[in-house]
Amino acid sequence: MPAPLLQTKLHVPRRRRTEVARPRLLARLDRGWESALTLVSAPAGFGKTTLLTDWLTDPGPGRAVAWLALDPRDDDPAVFWTYLVASLQEAAPGVGAQARTLLASGDTAIDTVLTTLVNDLGALPGDLVLVLDDYHVIDAPDLHEGIAFLLDHLPPQVHLVIATRADPPLPLARLRARGELVEARAADLRFTAGEAGTYLTDVMGLTLTAADVATLEGRTEGWIAALQLAALSLQGRDDATAFISGFAGHDRYVVDYLVEEVLQRQPDDVREFLLRTSILSRLTGPLCDAVTGQDGGRAALDALERANLFLVPLDDRRRWYRYHHLFADVLQAHLLAEEPDRVADLHRRASEWCERHDDRPEALRHALAARDFGRAADLLELALPAMRQERQEATLRRVLDALPDDAVRARPVLTLAVAGVRLQYGELDGVETHLRDAEAWLDGPDARDADPELLRTVRAGTALYRAAQSRIGGDAQGTIGHARRVLDVVGDDVPLERGAAAGLLGLAYWSLGDLGAGHRWWVESVADLERAGHHADVLGGCIALGDIRVAQGRLADASDAYEHGLLVATRHGSPLLRGAADMHVGLSGPLRERDDLDGARSHLTTSKDLGDLAALPQNRHRWGVATARVRIAEGDLAGALRLLDEAQAAYVGDMFPDTQPIAAWRARVTIAQGDLVEARRWARDRGLGADDDLTYLREFEHVTLARLLLAEHDAAALGRATALLDRLAHAAEDGGRTGSLIEILTLQALAARARGDLPAAVTTLQGALTLAEPEGYVRVFVDEGPRLTALLKAVPTHVGYVRRLLVAASTTSGPGTAPALVDPLSPRELDVLRLLSGDLDGPGIARELVVTLHTVRSHTKAVYAKLGVTSRRAAVRRARELGLLP
Amino acid sequence: MSTDEQAPESYEIRVQGRLDPRWASWFDGMTLAGAPGGVTVIHGPVVDQAALHGLLQKLRDLGLPLVSVGPTAGPPAAVPPHPTA
Repeated sequence: MPAPLLQTKLHVPRRRRTEVARPRLLARLDRGWESALTLVSAPAGFGKTTLLTDWLTDPGPGRAVAWLALDPRDDDPAVFWTYLVASLQEAAPGVGAQARTLLASGDTAIDTVLTTLVNDLGALPGDLVLVLDDYHVIDAPDLHEGIAFLLDHLPPQVHLVIATRADPPLPLARLRARGELVEARAADLRFTAGEAGTYLTDVMGLTLTAADVATLEGRTEGWIAALQLAALSLQGRDDATAFISGFAGHDRYVVDYLVEEVLQRQPDDVREFLLRTSILSRLTGPLCDAVTGQDGGRAALDALERANLFLVPLDDRRRWYRYHHLFADVLQAHLLAEEPDRVADLHRRASEWCERHDDRPEALRHALAARDFGRAADLLELALPAMRQERQEATLRRVLDALPDDAVRARPVLTLAVAGVRLQYGELDGVETHLRDAEAWLDGPDARDADPELLRTVRAGTALYRAAQSRIGGDAQGTIGHARRVLDVVGDDVPLERGAAAGLLGLAYWSLGDLGAGHRWWVESVADLERAGHHADVLGGCIALGDIRVAQGRLADASDAYEHGLLVATRHGSPLLRGAADMHVGLSGPLRERDDLDGARSHLTTSKDLGDLAALPQNRHRWGVATARVRIAEGDLAGALRLLDEAQAAYVGDMFPDTQPIAAWRARVTIAQGDLVEARRWARDRGLGADDDLTYLREFEHVTLARLLLAEHDAAALGRATALLDRLAHAAEDGGRTGSLIEILTLQALAARARGDLPAAVTTLQGALTLAEPEGYVRVFVDEGPRLTALLKAVPTHVGYVRRLLVAASTTSGPGTAPALVDPLSPRELDVLRLLSGDLDGPGIARELVVTLHTVRSHTKAVYAKLGVTSRRAAVRRARELGLLP
Repeated sequence: MSTDEQAPESYEIRVQGRLDPRWASWFDGMTLAGAPGGVTVIHGPVVDQAALHGLLQKLRDLGLPLVSVGPTAGPPAAVPPHPTA
């Protein structure tokens, strides 16, 4: 349940008293109704907020104003975007509902959230302005990137206004060049002499000579805050001119001097009130009373507001105010100088009041300012569950960093929180220290008397983080040990922790090659995560289940897993959960394998159409590989390579073992094209050898190596391939990896054939067919091309199945037959082809092209493969048919 | 400037506008001194770049125009502050 939002941050201020009319500035700002960004950039006290308030009061029919008053706590994506969407919803209730839901689920990329927001904004019938006030408090680069994204995609009727003390790191130059930027800077905001005069005499009612006004304006340089303070100092004075010339005669920091003047003129109780409440970021009567220890806070605030003493109202009901920032800073400096010992106490009182009134973040801030770290740590512990739920990681990190080590160490829950934050940000050395601290606490005296619930939480948390740490370190056994301990410790009432631990076990066993155990643990994990309501993580689990089943050769079960995931992704209505697109990619696999290429293509298209909003980050490359495999089935190897290259560029790693690296896929395709150079280079880069110890994680690569060796058409290589395939077959069998085994047996059959041992080839192939028939495998055989098709014809058993396979081979053009130049000749190959049509022999061609004979032979081989021929004469004939040669 | 290099331990920041000595506690650990032309020289130990930027932000938030910022070895050659009016 998200914490309630502070309505005061969303309050749209209205002009409440006569200000100086500034028609030239307002006219300039009015252009903001036609621009993407209006930037008001000037130091504190230049009247930015007042100016914007003036501009936007009574904007006119059909125009809406949204306002967000930013403070340092908003420098956290979870907080910032929630408030930004809320501010838009205040102005235009139909906007941002979907964005709000996505933000609450916490698993969505910000671009996705902003896209839905932009779509909502695009439907607005009238213009809307969104003001971000005090934007300079925003520091996090990804927040600036998000705003830049918004600026790029804003519909024409929506306009952003930023008020700031420092130019934001946004593409201002680009906006300026496109005429999409309206600016008002310090030079524009300063009061002119005329405006200063109007302010002092008309608005503030002072009687001043023209010379006085000129002196004041000169001394303050039109700095509005200074003029306001000067005006306050001059009220009720008889000696205006004397004061002014005295004021002008020194070069003291103007604001400080004037605030001192103003303070001196206040009665003692008002002065004390101002100084003591200056520590508050928001003021209301009862809070002021708590801090000052007096009564009458509400009345005091009313009086201050009427006296124009820099109180800014934060709502329409005169309950909440804040001081003008500049004024507050100077007051605080005075307080610090006059009563340094009192400051901590004031903050402590404020902290207690805020805590009693459920403003925990502010209570924390005051506790830290009071340097009461014990209190701050206690407050943080209480706030932790909510912060976690709302993914306020940036805030959590900031507060944890502000706490001294001993305050954290004494509280194991906080110690674990720090470990968790470090893990999240990949700062692994920090993790170890804090886990040791947590374990030390468990062994220490405090643990003996501790609440059993707390003990369980700390034991489980420590074990879970140790398991995660082991996983990152690639220590599968360590992961298993720690994750099991989590399950020993926690009860059934914490499905999230159970699900996380079970998932880690699933990952560990999977990467060790124990697919049965891996699957069992993933099933548990998915069930627990569903109970915990963490649906996005459920989808990740479904991918694991599906992928494991495919490796085990259980295509129907794999499809079931992806179908289940799809159900989870869609059952909660719109928007679809991230991962729906991934399920479609998963479903395409078994369909493709069974030669339902239309079905496979349909799912891949659906996945693409669902778009990034419905996809996990890994889906880009998974889609690429899945589609490449369909291209392979269609015989379009060049197309497959292009897709694999795109997939590689889009590759994003995750926790799952990378069992089929894209580079290995690439090698397979180039081998099928007849280009062994690249595949050899790949094998060398990966350090692969036929004598390697075999592990599950490298199985796919080793099978690819076997393919390379088979393609070498070399007796020694064939021998190594045979030995390697033999070992691979045993390993796959032991590991229950029927999917891999079918492929390995098929290759073994081809190897036997290459050795001239037809009976062994047929027997081995029969073994593969037996395993493959129940699940309806097709492509694993047909994609091997005519050599395997020929072998199939020699198989006396599995009659119906073989017939189906042969039909499939003849109707779909596999990679063994080259359709009319799907793979065009390279310029070099064309050169060689042209010379092949002439009289030169190999060495002659080499001399003509100034290359080695070896190169000529390579190109010739490629030309033959692409033309689907095996002789020079046939190549020339085919090339003439295709119009490549005259 | 890489944060791995040996960072200077002191910085000297000059702002336009004389700050009363009272402000020293606001910039804790720093000393304030006056310089000709109505300039205040803020000088003292700065732990790292992040601390320097924090200090600059405090000055920004007071609206004090920056004149110069730079690392320094010893205390600045400064004119003692004028007596307050």
